[in-house]
Amino acid sequence: MPLQVLVVEDDDRIRAVLRLALEDEGYEVAEAGDAETALALAHAAMPDLMIVDLMLGATDGYTCIREIRRSSDIPIVVVSARSDTHDIVAGLEAGADDYVTKPFQVKEITARLRALRRRLRTAVEAAEPDLFLDSDPRRSLVLSRARGAARLDGEDVPLTVTEFRLLSELAQAPGRVLSRPALLEAVWQHGFYGDERIVDVHIRRLRTKIERDPGQPRIVVTVRGLGYRLDLQ
Amino acid sequence: MTPALGSVSLRHRLILAFAAVALMVSAVFAASTYLLARGYLLAQRERVVQHQAMADAEFVQQRLESAGADISEVLTSAGPPAENTIILRWQGKWYTSELGTERDTVPSALRSDIEAGNAAHQRFRTDDGPAVAIGVPLPSVGAEFYEVAPLTELEGILRLLSAILIGGAVLATTAGAALGAWASRSVVTPLNRVAATAAKIAGGHLDSRLPATQDPELTTIVGSFNSMVDTLQQRIERDARLAADVSHELRSPLTTLVASVDLLNARRFELHPRSRHALDLVTADLDRFRRLLDDLLELARSDAGLDRVPSDTVDLGLLLKHVLTEIGADPGLLAGPVEVETTGDKARLGRLFRNLFENAERHGGGLTSVQISRVDEDIVVTVDDHGDGVPGLDRERIFDRFATGRNSRGSSSGTGLGLALVAETAAAHRGAVWCAEAPGGGARFVVRLLEADR
Repeated sequence: MPLQVLVVEDDDRIRAVLRLALEDEGYEVAEAGDAETALALAHAAMPDLMIVDLMLGATDGYTCIREIRRSSDIPIVVVSARSDTHDIVAGLEAGADDYVTKPFQVKEITARLRALRRRLRTAVEAAEPDLFLDSDPRRSLVLSRARGAARLDGEDVPLTVTEFRLLSELAQAPGRVLSRPALLEAVWQHGFYGDERIVDVHIRRLRTKIERDPGQPRIVVTVRGLGYRLDLQ
Repeated sequence: MTPALGSVSLRHRLILAFAAVALMVSAVFAASTYLLARGYLLAQRERVVQHQAMADAEFVQQRLESAGADISEVLTSAGPPAENTIILRWQGKWYTSELGTERDTVPSALRSDIEAGNAAHQRFRTDDGPAVAIGVPLPSVGAEFYEVAPLTELEGILRLLSAILIGGAVLATTAGAALGAWASRSVVTPLNRVAATAAKIAGGHLDSRLPATQDPELTTIVGSFNSMVDTLQQRIERDARLAADVSHELRSPLTTLVASVDLLNARRFELHPRSRHALDLVTADLDRFRRLLDDLLELARSDAGLDRVPSDTVDLGLLLKHVLTEIGADPGLLAGPVEVETTGDKARLGRLFRNLFENAERHGGGLTSVQISRVDEDIVVTVDDHGDGVPGLDRERIFDRFATGRNSRGSSSGTGLGLALVAETAAAHRGAVWCAEAPGGGARFVVRLLEADR
């Protein structure tokens, strides 16, 4: 069964060409011209992936993403006509998994979606034993790769696919430093010019969900000038 | 203002002016005080001596009128004050109340006055110091009476007074200079603050403003300056917004175009050869258009001072190898210590070198070598080509926007902005780029970048 992509874009022509391109790649495409339609469709049609333009009409893309994130961990690729740091980081902070800037080539966007699909698959298919990230009896944190989830005191932590992939990647080798480019390649499959800010934003979001004190992280630790390291507690 | 003084700083000119005025005022004051005091003291002293001399003369006259007076007894009993000396000429002979005092002591001008029968006085200088002589003719006994009084004590007082006045003038001048220094500081400090703020703004810190002040005169300057910077900032931001808005408006249709052409290219085998050829033309120019837009936007952003270069560590050797591979050149062209790191924006540095390499490939007859070296604390990358080189006169001009050389260098990305962007990117990374001659006669582009702190 083909994966369904919801394209949220206020420009009809871009939407039309994206539909053509994505259908060529074998996706089933749903379209929304504004945030309200997008939210309704996201709840009704339950798409597998979303492409969201940050510049929408009355409700902007950021709000739309935040709204979707309240109930769903669906992978979201942001499309922005502005390559300014501010807009991109704001999109990622809102909850997007990845971004492309306009004008993009078809192969860029399909590559991003492929990477996200891979993340979906590996997240579900991995059959590795559970890993205790925090063994504190009052606050146990377990990464269950087989279930594609992390559990804090027996309850699932609402991680997005990207956050889960990032955590799994770090958990592959606890205590070893992983550089930002290495994480970019492993989780996002970005090329040589990949944007390292994307890693930082997702690490920040991950920490707010799993750390006792996100201001003083102890599980996902920053190693200055080198990258990140996962320390088992 | 004389040119010599024109070169003196405002601060020093103010100090000099204050000191000069203080010196002038205190000098006039001191001189007039001295002259007045001196005149008054001298006149008073002379009056005292004159009274004394008159009394003594009268006494001597009375004694001489009585017959058989002993002249030395007369002079002794006249009893002038200890420091005064009486000199008497009587019956053609000179007598004095003090041994060792000659008649020559009396100035000759005074003597001739007395001989003429007029009472007179005269100040003169003896070996012991200044003195005043009073002459009184005594015609009734045919004598000339002189009394000489020293003015040494008075001179001492006057010397002390002048010393005090000179000291006062020096003190006043110093105080004037100090006042000048204070005044100049209070004038120059706000000026310096304006200069420092202006320099900061010129350096891209558009949010810098002068702090508010209570001084009513400075308030105007501070207010005008700040509102000028406000206007400037608004204009720069409006320009930047315009560039961003224009690029946004252009990007949407461009997205449709690029994606549609991609779709067509994916199905190019379904097209007629003539259509395929047309599609290739559209594809090539669309690529050029896209890069022109990127270049323009980046230049607009650096013009607007919105250029914040991130301080990511960039492995320069790896970057250069990657860019060489990207443009289809041999990564083996890279020589030198390749394990060097700089800080900045990887994508923009990549674009910088891509532009240089493509420039060499398109207009320089092909890339011959890319060399990394360390010079002092900097990294230097030299990019040599095979071509005819760049004439000396053009070596700066080719970095201008839309500059076209004889062999149309400068349009490496086909946009006419390639080398301009190279220069801007290098500058934004606190580095530089220049053009020289390669050993083989081709062009050599040299990029200097800061090495990352380890």
